[in-house]
Amino acid sequence: MFKFCLQQKAAFRSASLRRYSTQPTGKTPIKLVAELRKLTEVSLAKAREALAASNNDVRAALQWLEKDASVSGAKKAAKLQGRDAREGLIGTSVLSRGTGVGEGPVRGGVRGAMVELNCETDFVARNELFGKLLADISHTAAFISENTSKHSDLSDAFEPLSIELLQDAPLLSSDASEPLRPAKQTVAEALQELVGKVGEKIYLRRALTAVIPSERILAGTAYHLSSYSHGAIRLASQGRISALLLTSSTGPSQKLNQLLSSPDFSKELFAIEDALARQVVGFPTLSIKPSSWCGSDDQLAAALLAQPFMMYSPSNGASVAEFLQQWAKTHKLTIAGPSLAVIPTAVAKWTVGESDNAAVVSVLSKEPGEQLLPSV
Amino acid sequence: MSSCRSGEDIAAVHQALSLKASDRRPVGRCRSEGPGRLCLDVPLRVQSKLLVHPPYLSTMLRTQLVSTRAAARRLYSSRATQSLFVCARTAARSPAYPTHSSLLQKHGVSLVIRRGYADAKFDRSKPFLNIGTIGHVDHGKTTLTAAITKVLAESGGAKFTDYAEIDKAPEEKARGITINSAHVEYESKNRHYGHIDCPGHADYIKNMITGAASMDGAIIVVSATDGQMPQTREHLLLARQVGIKKLVVFINKVDMIQDPEILDLVDMEIRDLLNTYNFDGENTPIIMGSALAALEGREDAIGKNKILELIDACDHWLEVPPRDLDKPFLMPIEETYSISGRGTVACGRAERGIINKGDEVEILGFGERIKTTVTGIEMFRKELDRGEAGDNMGVLLRGIKRELIQRGQVITAPGTMKSAKKFMAQIYILTKDEGGRYTPFMVNYKPQLFLRTADTTVGFEWPEGTPDPEHKMVMPGDNIEVVCSLYNDLAADVGTRFTLREGGKTVGTGIVTKVLEHARI
Repeated sequence: MFKFCLQQKAAFRSASLRRYSTQPTGKTPIKLVAELRKLTEVSLAKAREALAASNNDVRAALQWLEKDASVSGAKKAAKLQGRDAREGLIGTSVLSRGTGVGEGPVRGGVRGAMVELNCETDFVARNELFGKLLADISHTAAFISENTSKHSDLSDAFEPLSIELLQDAPLLSSDASEPLRPAKQTVAEALQELVGKVGEKIYLRRALTAVIPSERILAGTAYHLSSYSHGAIRLASQGRISALLLTSSTGPSQKLNQLLSSPDFSKELFAIEDALARQVVGFPTLSIKPSSWCGSDDQLAAALLAQPFMMYSPSNGASVAEFLQQWAKTHKLTIAGPSLAVIPTAVAKWTVGESDNAAVVSVLSKEPGEQLLPSV
Repeated sequence: MSSCRSGEDIAAVHQALSLKASDRRPVGRCRSEGPGRLCLDVPLRVQSKLLVHPPYLSTMLRTQLVSTRAAARRLYSSRATQSLFVCARTAARSPAYPTHSSLLQKHGVSLVIRRGYADAKFDRSKPFLNIGTIGHVDHGKTTLTAAITKVLAESGGAKFTDYAEIDKAPEEKARGITINSAHVEYESKNRHYGHIDCPGHADYIKNMITGAASMDGAIIVVSATDGQMPQTREHLLLARQVGIKKLVVFINKVDMIQDPEILDLVDMEIRDLLNTYNFDGENTPIIMGSALAALEGREDAIGKNKILELIDACDHWLEVPPRDLDKPFLMPIEETYSISGRGTVACGRAERGIINKGDEVEILGFGERIKTTVTGIEMFRKELDRGEAGDNMGVLLRGIKRELIQRGQVITAPGTMKSAKKFMAQIYILTKDEGGRYTPFMVNYKPQLFLRTADTTVGFEWPEGTPDPEHKMVMPGDNIEVVCSLYNDLAADVGTRFTLREGGKTVGTGIVTKVLEHARI
């Protein structure tokens, strides 16, 4: 039965193919259009136009399409300008997680980015092309950004990245297996090409970078960047709610270096940081520390340090602050004053399609004598 | 026995509640009480269960979410008092009644329907089917919907609904309404269709799980100018995921294509793609026309005639889901009694099928599989020879001790069902605003699962191949597909709905998509 179906299918195919090959009427043979569509996913009309313009040569048509992509994409994009695009994905890219990764040099900078790319329906957001482009753009954003600030306290570790700047940047591939080669197109051109293919409004809504160059890191402090995206469809780094989290570990520099160079310690610390990033996304987090430790339950649930650390099972129901304090103590990593040796320093959390003022970016400004733990 | 005075009242309730076709069964006995008031006769013991009964839950959910929708508007009659008229047999002395009513009030549901509000009768003579349009935003789904109503209006099978009326998307989206279900309906010669638009993947899945929207078949709309697009794959994947087995394809905008070969290519590509996603590519009807031409009443050859052809294809190719009455018998046990001198009686509301006195049945669930014979059927204290879906009845079971059976088990036609221990399910987790949790949970979460009259503890596992399973978290508002392991086995099939509760509140609702392990009995 199955074989019969296959035969039938084959017969159907060959019949249709024969029809195409024996009747190459008109200016553009339909077989070539089909071939071109398989190679590029452009619309039918475009495929025909390309073949007509390049004398029915598929290779030339491909080149023609490449040149034409951004032009016609831009035209299409202009047409769709007024439409509402509130679906999409947020992509994160962490190029350098920070100090103490693996066996490398203990001093190292932090480099990462978060980008929101919008489209009209989640059908497009679920598509492979969309995910791939977003991954590349996030990668590019993390790659090109520089931290220009002069603040010494790193209160501006998370900086918004100008969309114009990002759109003009050459698009770098996030795929490490691809050979390095000069970028074919800019981010803007790649966006226009995708608009041409999926026919929906697609635009870069916002971008944020987290960069700490190694020369700005003081001895006795280590910075780590972790990220989490919720609702991933294809790639774990993309989702509908995403967060970047910067953690700082402080201590006597010799002790800290010694700890960080131990793989077991690093592994555990990274696991805690990843759990903190999940915690930020999972809970209705609005800030790192509560305005007051005696606030209402809702207020406390909105502050990362006051939340029960549910995303890390060894915490046994302790709050994030309590757990971090306890954990640092067991590793004999203590510092003077009412602060924490290991502490989330900056948090950014975005949800797809949210209004601009709903975005959460919270930085822990360290004031002297600040209460970072609930008073017992 | 109080009988239904008019069938259309029940139909009106169902229509107003937009229950899906397979749920179109009497909610309870229907009795008219006073002029212009329709009451749902629900036995007392069912009342509390209604709150975890998926269609009810979904109605409440949806009324909450979609409070201003047309369907919901119908529920609020102008003289509606803020109470639910539940005329249970024992309503007068029902202590549970006030609690129930206030609970529903909280959700803003008022089930008072005044006679005479509807301008037409709901015709039950034709089989009913929910159909959805899926396609790219610019390929003319709305135009096609408008065209179908226009063309069928000519033969009296629909009320013409124009583009602007259907396409309320922007304003509805602003109000948080994402699916226009049961917004448009039309009739062909031998079928009655409810039409929904499917604007997004996540939106549709959520509505499907909660029971607010359902598609028994779908029309994939593709423009002839663009051909299939990258996201057409996602459209087909959605149809697959929600269990649609047959599709009809409408190639729109053919008036903009001069070259017939292009149409052949579109046809061939679509059939290839259908095959890739395990649909029947060779036999799926593909209709090529122009919805705009039909809407504007020009070029009948590609306009009106093609719309009729499309409806005809839907009539012949899409399958009507079996009616509850035609399915094998199933009755969840709500209570058991032992009547001295007669034996054990199991009471409940038959969910589907028909039972006759003397039929063999099987009792399933909680580790049991007992064969017995029905020696009597009783309803409203009168003996019957036959009971059917929707009836609240008691069945007398031969040679069964009362201790042997319990609430939560089901009585089924022998061999038609198995008790499931482990199944795959699609679950929607309610948000805080919908009354659910506000914190996420991980795979170690163990809520109570309520399925029909049964409840048991359930454990979750991520399907094989899920990356980083022990760290994967679920947030309120998520749709998830997980493997559910039941502490006690329960009779469940693909399509069985259930709810998840924890600490007295409903945290999620789900639907079985695949049974993985049956109880070894």
